[in-house]
Amino acid sequence: MKNTIRQVFHSPKFVVGFCIFMAILLTMLVYPFINPGDPLKMIGLGTFAEPGTYVSMYDSVGAPFSTFKIPDADVKRLDKLLTQEDRAKMREWLELAQVDVSELDVGDMDSLLAMWKQHYDPEIRIPGMIKAVRNYYIRLNNSILSASVSDTLKVTDTDEATGETIEKTKISKTDYVNVDDVANVISLPLGTDNFGRDTLKQLVAACGVSISIGLIAGAVATALGLLLGLLAGYLGGWVDDFIMFFTNIFTVIPSFVLLILINYSINQDQRGAGTVALVIGLTSWVWTTRSVRSQVISLRNRDHVNLSRLSGHSLPRIILTDILPYIASYVMMAFILQVSSGILAEAQLSLLGLGPKTTEVPTLGLMMNWAMLYSAHLNGSWWAYFPVILVIALISFSLNLMNTGLDQVFNPTLRE
Amino acid sequence: MKGYRKYFGKKLFWFGITFIAALLLNFTLPRLMPGDPVSMIVSKQAQGLTEASAVKAIYDNYAKEFGTSKPMIEQFFTYVGNLFKGDMGTSFSQYPRKVADIIGSAVGWTLGLQLPAIIMGWLLGNILGALAAYVRKGFDKVLMPMTLFFSSVPAFGMAVTLLVIFSITLKVTPVAGGYGYDMIPNFSWNFINSVLQHYQLPFWSIVIISIGGQAIGMRSMSIYELNADYVKYARFLGIKDRKIVGYVFRNAMLPQVTGLALSLGTMVGGALVAEIIFSYPGLGTTMYQGIKMMDYPLISGTTLIITVMVLVATFVLDIVYGFIDPRVKAAQFE
Amino acid sequence: MSNKVLEVRGLTTKYVTRFRENIYAVDNVSLSIEEGKSLGIAGESGCGKSTLALSLMGYYFAPLHYTSGEIIIDGKNISGMKPDEVRKNVLGNEIAYIPQAAMNALNPTRRIRRFVEDVILAHDPKANKKQISEMAEARFAELGLPASVLDRHPVELSGGMKQRTVIAISTILKPKVLIADEPSSALDVTSQKMVIKMLRDLMEKGYIRAMIFITHELPLLYNVTDDIMVMYAGQIVEQGTAKQMVFDPIHPYSRGLMRSIIVPEEGTRGHKLAAIPGTPPNLKNPPQGCRFADRCQYVVPQCRVSAIPMITFDNTREYRCGHAVQHLREVYSHDDA
Repeated sequence: MKNTIRQVFHSPKFVVGFCIFMAILLTMLVYPFINPGDPLKMIGLGTFAEPGTYVSMYDSVGAPFSTFKIPDADVKRLDKLLTQEDRAKMREWLELAQVDVSELDVGDMDSLLAMWKQHYDPEIRIPGMIKAVRNYYIRLNNSILSASVSDTLKVTDTDEATGETIEKTKISKTDYVNVDDVANVISLPLGTDNFGRDTLKQLVAACGVSISIGLIAGAVATALGLLLGLLAGYLGGWVDDFIMFFTNIFTVIPSFVLLILINYSINQDQRGAGTVALVIGLTSWVWTTRSVRSQVISLRNRDHVNLSRLSGHSLPRIILTDILPYIASYVMMAFILQVSSGILAEAQLSLLGLGPKTTEVPTLGLMMNWAMLYSAHLNGSWWAYFPVILVIALISFSLNLMNTGLDQVFNPTLRE
Repeated sequence: MKGYRKYFGKKLFWFGITFIAALLLNFTLPRLMPGDPVSMIVSKQAQGLTEASAVKAIYDNYAKEFGTSKPMIEQFFTYVGNLFKGDMGTSFSQYPRKVADIIGSAVGWTLGLQLPAIIMGWLLGNILGALAAYVRKGFDKVLMPMTLFFSSVPAFGMAVTLLVIFSITLKVTPVAGGYGYDMIPNFSWNFINSVLQHYQLPFWSIVIISIGGQAIGMRSMSIYELNADYVKYARFLGIKDRKIVGYVFRNAMLPQVTGLALSLGTMVGGALVAEIIFSYPGLGTTMYQGIKMMDYPLISGTTLIITVMVLVATFVLDIVYGFIDPRVKAAQFE
Repeated sequence: MSNKVLEVRGLTTKYVTRFRENIYAVDNVSLSIEEGKSLGIAGESGCGKSTLALSLMGYYFAPLHYTSGEIIIDGKNISGMKPDEVRKNVLGNEIAYIPQAAMNALNPTRRIRRFVEDVILAHDPKANKKQISEMAEARFAELGLPASVLDRHPVELSGGMKQRTVIAISTILKPKVLIADEPSSALDVTSQKMVIKMLRDLMEKGYIRAMIFITHELPLLYNVTDDIMVMYAGQIVEQGTAKQMVFDPIHPYSRGLMRSIIVPEEGTRGHKLAAIPGTPPNLKNPPQGCRFADRCQYVVPQCRVSAIPMITFDNTREYRCGHAVQHLREVYSHDDA
């Protein structure tokens, strides 16, 4: 036993797979301590906030500040302010106003601004330009002016008693707030999803739920498959015929279809993660049964089993001591594969809208489902679905690697 | 020939049995719901409907279609009888279209997409697996983990990734559907061109998904065959290595036909979900609409058709395999 | 000098393991066979006799590698040839091989007729398929195999039939030398007899001119071959005619081999059955002196000092032992008494 384990850990494929899987598990265990709280809490009011660190604007106004003179601060400010589209529009205006723009490079902020400030006049009426567009240019100009001209920004409040506008504070362009001094800063490495929930926190929680679903499904399928395979293989006769009859049928009928039919038949409020896992497990025992049976048949007539039978050992004892140890490695591999396919099955079901009910727990499939329903893939919110795909792929990759590694250890012909 | 006949007979028998089992399951599973299945479906169906008469109409219609007042066994025969007349009931989400019509218009798309894609994935996978086994060394070391990784990406994940790269970012392929939505299906060049453009992404995402599993199976199989005694013997008879490699790959590939038959169910499942991502007008999308709209007759119809398609494909593969691999014939004589 | 069909001088080949260690499984082997003669090679499993069979073909692929020595078939030295030349001009038509595991020697999914075509086309790409078929049918009939075998897949043939088919295919190009590696050990007695009869037929009808028969059963060779060699740990330890080797083995190992087998003859009942104790040495680092020293009951300290050369005695016989022939014969007769 000890030797087998040592051998398994000498297989590079197994070790790499094991490390990836353990890294995922570790993240799952540690992350909730770093960032505690309910993963399903809707913290954002909008949908799909981009990944990044969010600093409370309100809190930063009153916070203590230091003064810095940074040479290209203005350029950077304008850079953020003016989108590529705005710059193209500026050039378009200049062109319409008969300014020679042949030398102008839109990427060169300084010359564009210089030319704009020199020529733009809201009073100039360009023939054929509708009012909305004219107003757009006026707004654009104002923001350029406020960014580059006024050095301070006034923050005002209304006195509740008198209704007068009173100046609260002035913010200079050179004022900087230390992020540590701002009371409310939220870090969202993966932004928020369509409901405004922290995607990373949800992903970590979903990962745990999905892996548990995989483990339950795998355990149910392996236990059932093992039991049926042992019975069919060891007892033979009509028991074998009976079990194989059903096994043959369910080998060909796609389990995917069964899952859909069964899950559709279960009312949504009864469809928790556990139920879904159980259903997945109950529909994927066929493979294990088939292979365990064929292995048991080849073991059944080995000398040590015959000897044990002749010595009058009971059936459970023969199975436990003379058969199980010989198929243990195989059953382990089947279990690993079933965990992986269980995770995948849950994801596919959820994507069809037949996964666990949606309000209690996050699963990888449900995250994917919501992202698709809210067209995250069409509006560029990659953080809502891509990490999910990657995590599913990584989990199943690590499990497959471990399986391949085990296969090479136990099937010497496949070794390099 | 006797061996083949026995083999064929056995396979046909199992095909029949499985077909009946599939019908039974399709019929029974929804009826296993606790309580009155009709009122259960109606309550799902009628969510949001306030008018009592509308609910009543739905209820009556279902009660008639299911024939719930009659005993189970009679219901089953009515169901089978209707099926053989090509009647799968009426869709509720697309009332008054017949389910058979809706499925009829979707089957062609699914077959046209999945059949070539799965065959292509199978072929490419086998070639890759064979190369990995034959070349070993660097090719094997780099390629196999990569293939393993790609085969670990779920079908929908691959579909979304390809969609975002090629349709959204690079804008080289259309985003959704089976053809441009400003078009009416006809046999013009324009339409065919549009169909082909829409075909690319769903096709390749299914191909890429199917490659992995097949390549890994083929690799193990080929390594096993390359070490077989007949390889050594053929070498010592002076037969060229290229010819021997031909033997090996033929022998390794033949069991892969059975491998395909066995993994077909899983592959089709993944491919159906990929269809949904591309809103491809096939069975996957149809089924998804059925689930979203709680259109029970449509779900039941699509799952049955998918099962039958997989059954037929498996049966055909089994028969083909019996003819091309002499080892099967020998096994029948045992 | 008589007509030598095969002559091997100082052939050495090695296996290279995964850890780049060299294992010299055939170490400086020399042998020769004359026209119409057969040579038996005997030894325990792992002594290098199967590797010798592979090495004699002059065609090497990993993990087996050629190191040194010459293989001369009918006056033509093949050890310097390029692999592809060996494949085309030597394998199958100069020297042919019958593998140990004939059960799996044929491609299970190829009809015998197609396989025979492949063999012949590999040496003569312009051969006519119809002529090949006719020739194969005639040859199979002559060797007592039904022509219907040609249209079968190997999986449809019984074990004995498969073995005889393999023999027929190996000799289809009338090779000068046939190497049979334990062709009969996995078969039942009837099939064994048929195989041996078939090999004799091949010699008598002139389809092969010399044969090497490899087995672990020394007494079987007495019935099959003219000469016998005994191999131990990659080296030849003794050689002589079949009669000499069976009735008068000189090397302690040959004698051990003979005595470890029950010969069901009159008077052998109650015969002392002596197994050779111990196991062959690890060829990764073979012992310095006599390789058999650790298992030899007549070992003396000088045995372990330096490598023992082959020594000729009784004009034609050779052996590899530190003791004099006379001494050994005396010891043996003393033992038997």
